[in-house]
Amino acid sequence: MHSLYARLNNFSAFLSSCLMGLLAAIALSSFLFTAEPKGELTLASVKVFPGSSRRMPTVKQEFTFVNFNISADLTPLFHWNTKQLFVYLQAEYVDSKGVQNDVVLWDSIIRRKQDAVLNIAGRNKYVFRDLSRSFRNAQAANYTLRYNLMPYVGVLTYGEAGRTSEPVPFPEPETVS
Amino acid sequence: MNANLNGLLEGKIDFEGQKLVETITRVALVVLSVISFIVGFALQSLQVTFGIFSAGSIALVLLIVPPWPIYNSHPVQWLPSLPPTSSSIKS
Amino acid sequence: MFAEELKAFRRLGVRGVLVQLLNFASVIASGLMMWKGLGLLTNTESPIVVVLSGSMEPAFYRGDLLFLTNPPNVPYQTGDITVYKVPGSPIPIVHRILETRGIVRNAPKSAIAQDVADGQKSAVLRAVEGQEVEQLLLTKGDNNPIDDVDLYNGLDWLERRHVVGKVRGFLPYIGYVTIAMNDHPNLKYLLLGVLGLFALIQRE
Repeated sequence: MHSLYARLNNFSAFLSSCLMGLLAAIALSSFLFTAEPKGELTLASVKVFPGSSRRMPTVKQEFTFVNFNISADLTPLFHWNTKQLFVYLQAEYVDSKGVQNDVVLWDSIIRRKQDAVLNIAGRNKYVFRDLSRSFRNAQAANYTLRYNLMPYVGVLTYGEAGRTSEPVPFPEPETVS
Repeated sequence: MNANLNGLLEGKIDFEGQKLVETITRVALVVLSVISFIVGFALQSLQVTFGIFSAGSIALVLLIVPPWPIYNSHPVQWLPSLPPTSSSIKS
Repeated sequence: MFAEELKAFRRLGVRGVLVQLLNFASVIASGLMMWKGLGLLTNTESPIVVVLSGSMEPAFYRGDLLFLTNPPNVPYQTGDITVYKVPGSPIPIVHRILETRGIVRNAPKSAIAQDVADGQKSAVLRAVEGQEVEQLLLTKGDNNPIDDVDLYNGLDWLERRHVVGKVRGFLPYIGYVTIAMNDHPNLKYLLLGVLGLFALIQRE
């Protein structure tokens, strides 16, 4: 502490320790916020169309199109350590081989508390297809609305904000003439 | 001129001053961290937390790094120098 | 200017210098032990990674630090943010899982026992006794318009063995130093040079 350099050195070392402690405290404070908001998810329509795979145009494949309605108030999830909310709608079903499949159909990033009240009528953003190229023998699907809370510092958390009340079966493919 | 520059860069302060600076640094940084956390948490804004923390740190640097005269108010009392005797030169 | 330091060195003698080197080596060794220990705890080869690209913005920017775990025998879920490495490409990619699927492999009992012993790399979900289900994953970066299939170097789906871990924790900005040093290698040499100089000059 006898010279400028010594004092500056000592200060910055202790500053780093305090800063680390502060960041740890902020990360831990996230656990105090335990909101689990619930919303509603309903499907307007589910249709299956035959088509061809976009990468191999000669290969026939079935695609499912889903129109859905979401209403949810996710504002309780926004606290001082919430950087953004990643909201996604997924279809969970057991396919014809008996294997569990989860497919994300739509997602959205919410960065501000004002934008966290969702009232959306949407359709799937992403292509919904099956490994076996057909939905014929797939079991009925459950559709869920989930979110991922991403903090400024700390642990990422996940939650479910809504679910269709009963499994929705896949209809027969429409015939396109 | 060179000696002056060196003296300026070194920024010597006396021992009492060093103890004071050490205490101030530790206490102030801990208090600053706690206050910035509490105020930020109450206002639910991380910007407030880091704003208070940065402002406080800069103020602290200005307080403890330059050799202010307060830190030099207890200069070391050196004993008066003894005239050299022939017996001490022999060894 | 260095005359004083050289004199100090000569005073230390050979044993003194060796002791200094030993101190230096033990610092490095304990750092390495902690890193590898953390890797064992989290079951991943790289428990802490730095974000390199902007494909996950606005969540992750270049220079952010991510903490990974790779729980063995727990299937990954959609929405998990994973770090994976495609064979043939050395750079790990941080993207979110868009789809999880599985394929059934008929395996005789002995092969199942073998797989469980080899254990950590392939997550095995038991569909039916005598069968294994291997998980297949499709990923996409939040900031990318399409999924990652073009990045898979010929594969249609990612398998569990390609995944290094999933992101559990996050620390902003801290990793920027590593990116700056990668973009400006002169900075790296300068830093190493300065650190080496300090290590030699300091006696404590």
